[in-house]
Amino acid sequence: MNAPLTAPANPRNVVASRSLFLPLVAAGLFLLLVIIGSLIYGAGPVTPRKALAALAGTGSDEAWFVIRELRLPRTLIGLATGLALGIAGALLQAMTRNPLAEPGLLGVSAGAGFAVAVAILFGASTATLTTLIAQVGALAGCSLVIAATRVQGLGNDPVRLVLAGATLSGLLLALTSMLMLMDQRAADEIRFWITGSVAGKSLATFQATLPSLIIALTLVVVVARPLAAMALGERAAVGLGHHPGRIRFLITVTVALLVGAATALAGPLIFVGLVVPFIARAFSGPDIRKTLWLCLPIGPAVVLAADVASRLMAAPAEMPLGVVTALIGAPVLLAIVRAGRMPSL
Amino acid sequence: MHRHALTMPDSRTLVANAVLLLLVAAAVIISLSMGTVQIAPAEVIRALIGTTEDPTAAFVINELRLSRVVAGMLSGAALALAGCLMQTLARNRLATPGIIGIDNAATAFAVASVVGTGIAIAPSAMALVGAATATALAFGLAGANGTRGYRFIVAGLGIGAIAGAVTQVMLSQVAIDDANAAYPWTVGSLNARSGASVQVLALGLAASCLVTVAIVRALNTLQFSDPVAIALGTRLRRTRVVGLGLSVLLTGLAVSVCGPVGLVALLAPELARTVCRPGRIPLTAAALAGAAFMVIADLLGRTLFSPLEIPVGIITAIVGSPYLLWILLRPSTRSLT
Repeated sequence: MNAPLTAPANPRNVVASRSLFLPLVAAGLFLLLVIIGSLIYGAGPVTPRKALAALAGTGSDEAWFVIRELRLPRTLIGLATGLALGIAGALLQAMTRNPLAEPGLLGVSAGAGFAVAVAILFGASTATLTTLIAQVGALAGCSLVIAATRVQGLGNDPVRLVLAGATLSGLLLALTSMLMLMDQRAADEIRFWITGSVAGKSLATFQATLPSLIIALTLVVVVARPLAAMALGERAAVGLGHHPGRIRFLITVTVALLVGAATALAGPLIFVGLVVPFIARAFSGPDIRKTLWLCLPIGPAVVLAADVASRLMAAPAEMPLGVVTALIGAPVLLAIVRAGRMPSL
Repeated sequence: MHRHALTMPDSRTLVANAVLLLLVAAAVIISLSMGTVQIAPAEVIRALIGTTEDPTAAFVINELRLSRVVAGMLSGAALALAGCLMQTLARNRLATPGIIGIDNAATAFAVASVVGTGIAIAPSAMALVGAATATALAFGLAGANGTRGYRFIVAGLGIGAIAGAVTQVMLSQVAIDDANAAYPWTVGSLNARSGASVQVLALGLAASCLVTVAIVRALNTLQFSDPVAIALGTRLRRTRVVGLGLSVLLTGLAVSVCGPVGLVALLAPELARTVCRPGRIPLTAAALAGAAFMVIADLLGRTLFSPLEIPVGIITAIVGSPYLLWILLRPSTRSLT
């Protein structure tokens, strides 16, 4: 009879911390592996063996140069992109209560991409400016998505929303293609960038997105609790002292900052924001706060793994990263649909 | 019900079809008259029936422009007919080849044969294989829910994304000249067509029209529920297999001519349903509307920013997407699927 008294005051907390620990460690280890892989695999004469030697401090100057100047920036950019897209996807899905809500599918990335294409056409080339413009484009796209979910009846119909997003993406892509036809110089720049790639970007691009990433992550910390309350329904959230309108606004801004930064870094990558929260939710359950924690290591790991795969799949040539993420993501999309677990959020 | 109620057209449909036919004719003549050399519409008609005095006009019209306009007309009609058939069979207004990824898959297979991955079968045949594969996948993945639920559409989105990625992989693996040559394929353009594939399309379209006429009554009964259709004497399974086969054939052949031109298959049947009397499947009107839509879109693409040419797929996407968005986003209690 005394047994319940000796139990911890809140048994759910114990269960929660235990269940999240292992996945976090596993994902962290996997991320570490992928980072090393990203540094040692690549095209050119620097083989994994030479690269490992260089990392250990005994390699040639040439190998060290390649790692420091080419592979390190690429790895960092992949890390930042994965982080941003994974968290943006998790936020958007919790916000719209739609497991298919993904920045790439819903047209947020396409909005950022179109804005950047316009900017390139008018001669913008500095990394800071591109990031800012991409974020403005993403903000427009994200506002449209949030507005669309508010339309009567649409919020409960995940597929209609996704289809509308896909249509919006198609429209923006067509407009981008039209801009590319207008200007050959811009077209070459856009075409390279639009398939999605983390290769050949300088550290300056990465630094340009850093401030907005930090702001966005701070916002995530602020918004995570109210968002978890929103999962109980809007009325419950109001009852707990939150303001749904304000939360929606903050999330729109956060997602725009994240997706804009990621798009400026790597081009419009599709499906990353779908796959990462999908994996995270498998371990964390429906609590958005836990999902966000798990997205931290999983997002970068997925993008970096895809990037390493893009180098190895067609060696010595490279495949666009966007193609690899689409090849990984589309089956996951089909799996989600096939599993029939759709309206679970 | 009158014996011919499901086969004979009513007066409103007849008028609508006549108007659409005039629209196609006008679009064709205007499209033939516009270009780097402007030719008066009257001269175009004379050149077409072979009574012109002007050898330049005759050459420009018959040798240069006619094949392109015919290709546009045929592929537009084929896509629209395929879309209308598939919508009817799936009982789902959104179930058009473009949306469930058939276009992209056909393109992927056709590009595979164009960029020479060692498969030397003609692009038409390859596009057909691609279209059939994607259709089978979409219906297979839709599972027990059939075509009515969300799975069907999302499965299509996934198939389209994979096919698009595969196309990009192939384009990124070939020399830049080949990639540039194949670029029209990825957006949908009448530039990449070959004479042979247009002829195959013409044959396929003619054959499909004949078969469609044979099953049109059965198709019309599909608007009712399955038991009603069976009671009206329709063999459901046979009708579905034949109809689906037709729409795969038409999509594959059209894509081998013009690439994945988006949304014609959705918009043309929508327009046809608006102008024709409800309660009947407006196959003829849809095909005519598709032909007109394609020819006009290509005309706009050629002339809007002349000498720059905008591929027809971009024009149809820019025109069609806002309309599709409107269908999807308008607050409506009516279910789409």
